[in-house]
Amino acid sequence: MRASGLLLLVFLLCPPLGRADPLRYEFLLLPSASAVGTFDRGAENTQIHDEVVQADLLLTLQKGPLKLFGEYLASDHEGDLERLQLGWQVSDDTVLWIGRFHQPTSVWNHDHHHGQYLQTSITRPAIDEWEDLGGVLPQHFTGALLESGATVFKSWRLRTALGGGIAPQLTSEGMEPFDLLRPDSHRHQMGYQARASLHPSEFSETGVGIVFANDEITAVDPHSPEALGFDHVEVRLAGMFANYAGATWKINSTIYNVDTRLYYTGSRRNDSFIVGYVQAERRLPRNLTGYVRWEDSAGAGSSPYLHLFERFARSRRVAGLRWDFLEHQALSVQFANSLTLDGHYNDIRLQWSAAFF
Amino acid sequence: MECGVLLNMRRALQLFILLCLAAQACAASHTLVLVVPVDSKVSDLDSLTVRKLFLGLPVLVDGSLLHPVRNRSDAELDPIFLQQIVAMSQSAYDRQILNGVNRQGWLRPVEVSTTSRVLDTLYADPNTVTFMWLHEVAHNPKVRVIRVLWGD
Repeated sequence: MRASGLLLLVFLLCPPLGRADPLRYEFLLLPSASAVGTFDRGAENTQIHDEVVQADLLLTLQKGPLKLFGEYLASDHEGDLERLQLGWQVSDDTVLWIGRFHQPTSVWNHDHHHGQYLQTSITRPAIDEWEDLGGVLPQHFTGALLESGATVFKSWRLRTALGGGIAPQLTSEGMEPFDLLRPDSHRHQMGYQARASLHPSEFSETGVGIVFANDEITAVDPHSPEALGFDHVEVRLAGMFANYAGATWKINSTIYNVDTRLYYTGSRRNDSFIVGYVQAERRLPRNLTGYVRWEDSAGAGSSPYLHLFERFARSRRVAGLRWDFLEHQALSVQFANSLTLDGHYNDIRLQWSAAFF
Repeated sequence: MECGVLLNMRRALQLFILLCLAAQACAASHTLVLVVPVDSKVSDLDSLTVRKLFLGLPVLVDGSLLHPVRNRSDAELDPIFLQQIVAMSQSAYDRQILNGVNRQGWLRPVEVSTTSRVLDTLYADPNTVTFMWLHEVAHNPKVRVIRVLWGD
């Protein structure tokens, strides 16, 4: 609470920067409810919760060029302050944030964040999964993020983002980001990310891009007797993505190359793996959208780093149908076949999602 | 006889002028203009910037963030707003606004449903930018017309 209170205080003490500007706000509520059933199970760990009811709350307060942006996710299982960012709008195209943010090199999360309504599929790709749901890459950082844009080649748009901050830590339960509401005293290391993408116009979702990250993650609990002496891991990520967003079709594709160095007391283990996915969405009559996603990997089975995450799906096939039955409300059904590091399972999901503002 | 012809020509000319004036008045009532308060720092906004502004993207002029107000005082304004200003369907516009809030914490344009409230907002905030029918602001000294957005 101390950190968020401090940010709020800074925000309120800066009225001279936004003189004569009224305080304006925006509130967005993204609720959802989902249920999942698994079958044909040949894996010990499948998913964490069978049913989830959640509400994603977003609030922006703006006064002049300063803004405070927060996202709180409340569910029947947990409540987390996912983002809390104090931003300074330097120009039309550039904003500097400090606080807790979603790192920009996750292609999926950079576009969708936590709101279920704003993503067509019910689940996200395994490689872009959140830390508390078994994610293998750090997603939440506390530090600074610079987002910018520029017009290039007459009418094309170059969007860039640079981030750096306190990285999550690795525990026996998986990755845990730095918590602004309940800060811990464990040793945290830093991570740095860069992203650049090129789009045919200012407003286009179609585009291609590259991402790079170098994150140092401290291990705070031994995972197993073999993990004794495990101190930290360095994760280096390089990726490319290409998206097409037309009136009828939408295609998202991403590929990441991940190099990791696991540092033990007196020794080091290196490994490398590649993970990618392609999702295709087709708008159909009667407000229906059909979608399929193919996720796959190379080198995942032999990766000592990925073996720290039992639920990681190294390969997955997803197919689903979404029905936008009312304004800002949708029902979705999805089938998936997942191959994890120690087995396989199928699941079927149902979800209601909405947006209210 | 000659006098009668001249009289008829004079009447025809008067009728023509009257028709022109009536047409002008009619056009003015169907001309949509972009307006700002008279003390606004805004001198001109191109169509791309206007589109950005009403899609919720930040637009700064001399360091001041502009505040778009979506005028919904007339049902006829909505289709013009979607077709001429933001150039997208209502569902695409909603999606754009939701994505902007979710990704960047952008603020969507304030929506105002009466002309008097649109004017009050203009008078109260020098950074306001909105659109109105020309005849509603033609002789208003507190409001400045920036550009014509649409006319039939």
